[in-house]
Amino acid sequence: MFGLIRNEMLVISGRWRSYIGFIGISVLMPLILWGFVYGSENIHQEYARELGESFMVVGSIINAFLATYIIMNALWIHIPFLVALAAGDAVAADGSNGIFRITLTRPVSRLKILTSKLIATYIYTALLLLFCALWSVGIGSLVLGTGDLIVIDKGILILSREEALVRMALSFAVAILVMFSVATLCFMFSAMVNNGIGPIIGAMLIIIIGYLVKAIPLDFFDRIEPFMIVSYFDVWLDAFRDPIPWSDIWNKLTILTLFSVSFYGIAVYVFLKKDITS
Amino acid sequence: MILEAKNLTKFYGLRKAVDGLHLEIPQGSVYGFLGPNGSGKSTTIRMMTALISPDEGEVVIKGKSVNQFGNEALNGVGALIERADFHKHLSGRTNLEMLARMDGTNFDRIDYVLERTGLSQRGDDKVKTYSQGMKQRLGIAQALLSNPELLILDEPTNGLDPSGMKEVRDLIGELSAEGITIFVSSHLLDEVQKICTHAAIIHLGRLITSGEMDTLLKDSELFVTEIRVSDAAKTTELLSSLDWVFHCESSNGSVKVNMDKARISYAVKLLVESGVEVSAVIPRTSLEEVFLSKIGSGSPI
Repeated sequence: MFGLIRNEMLVISGRWRSYIGFIGISVLMPLILWGFVYGSENIHQEYARELGESFMVVGSIINAFLATYIIMNALWIHIPFLVALAAGDAVAADGSNGIFRITLTRPVSRLKILTSKLIATYIYTALLLLFCALWSVGIGSLVLGTGDLIVIDKGILILSREEALVRMALSFAVAILVMFSVATLCFMFSAMVNNGIGPIIGAMLIIIIGYLVKAIPLDFFDRIEPFMIVSYFDVWLDAFRDPIPWSDIWNKLTILTLFSVSFYGIAVYVFLKKDITS
Repeated sequence: MILEAKNLTKFYGLRKAVDGLHLEIPQGSVYGFLGPNGSGKSTTIRMMTALISPDEGEVVIKGKSVNQFGNEALNGVGALIERADFHKHLSGRTNLEMLARMDGTNFDRIDYVLERTGLSQRGDDKVKTYSQGMKQRLGIAQALLSNPELLILDEPTNGLDPSGMKEVRDLIGELSAEGITIFVSSHLLDEVQKICTHAAIIHLGRLITSGEMDTLLKDSELFVTEIRVSDAAKTTELLSSLDWVFHCESSNGSVKVNMDKARISYAVKLLVESGVEVSAVIPRTSLEEVFLSKIGSGSPI
């Protein structure tokens, strides 16, 4: 299995589409951080207004942690797209390129081949999120410095520099698990078709529809919301609550895992039955 | 038998692409698989290599059913199905390394198969720089990688120039001499006749005929013979007037006749009685004649 995963990583690293996410994050992060340095007055005023009645704010509240927190909130809809760019090709590309005529005639089970592709997609996803975290916190630390993290969500939470770092690591770890479910969704579509674009569109459509259902306040939508995968995507935000709601995090991650297992199950069923005719 | 196809049937929608096909591939044979376009050759080969599941019947390789054991039944089988496609952004060698890693083949085999297919000088170049012929040779190299007992080749000379075709033909001969069983589909009948010990012809998904090459040629209903005579022009004129002679042409003192096999002695008697000296009667039936007699001349191969 290790050899198969190594093969898949070789293939992923050779596809130009795999680098779009990394290039996008490389360009976007410094740009956003530069924006924080030269144009964060609004955020500063908003935080000062919220905190002003209870706290005396001295110096700047904008630092690498707050910038990363805000960036994560803003990019949360876009990162699934970057994950889908690689996951969409995971199975479909081998079908469209005729590679399956070579690989699936060898004495290796289709289940092993499919599983190795999924694990490689997970590794790519994790690397993308880790790169996002390191780039954001790393460059942010150089440009904006570090300090206490002030989170205004359901109340005000002030985390020390050390605690903020731990919470940041936890949120990215949870975010990676969330993105695994996005990758599996796209992977399932990839196992069904022979082109890499269809799975990307399919996965993004489900995510966009999910966000719409969440955003529109209708009774019917409220009833179906628990069955939408996107309803559990915000679990990474729980890392910035006090105390950390471990039970909520565990429940949401379990549900996301069930989604992933279901998607993978469908992908296995389709792939094992699939006739390679091209 | 190293490979058996038993009642192999495959539907595409309502169309039967392969219809109750029975094949028996003897160990050590070079087995030619012939049929016009759309006759079900590729579908059959894909069922043999677990790329397609049959709707009925099964393929058994070395006693293991492909339906039951899946890809595990392909242990000891090398295959090249139609066009050889690889990861173009990687080198030929890296592609072979990936395949070797898949089934645990020793990397030492890579140099051997590259050498064997004439790619040792270009093995480290990216596949995207290869010509179609080189890709096809890399396809044969990957089929040989796991030191197979059975080699399944679907149109292996596609995209090769005449010298490349000859190299592949020679390679098949060498591999066969080493004891490897080879199942090969090709639209080049002359090529199949040259290299194969056995052949099968399918049409509209059904097996038309199969067996040893010599038997197929000998038992052909449409017999072609070369008759060496003293007067080729007179012979042509005499034989052309007979309704059981389908075609007759002369060149360099001999006449090539396409006729009913049962009438050959009568033809010789007629020529002798007409004052034509007959010095030799040489059977010249080719696989092409066999094919056309079974399938019909309107079917493209």
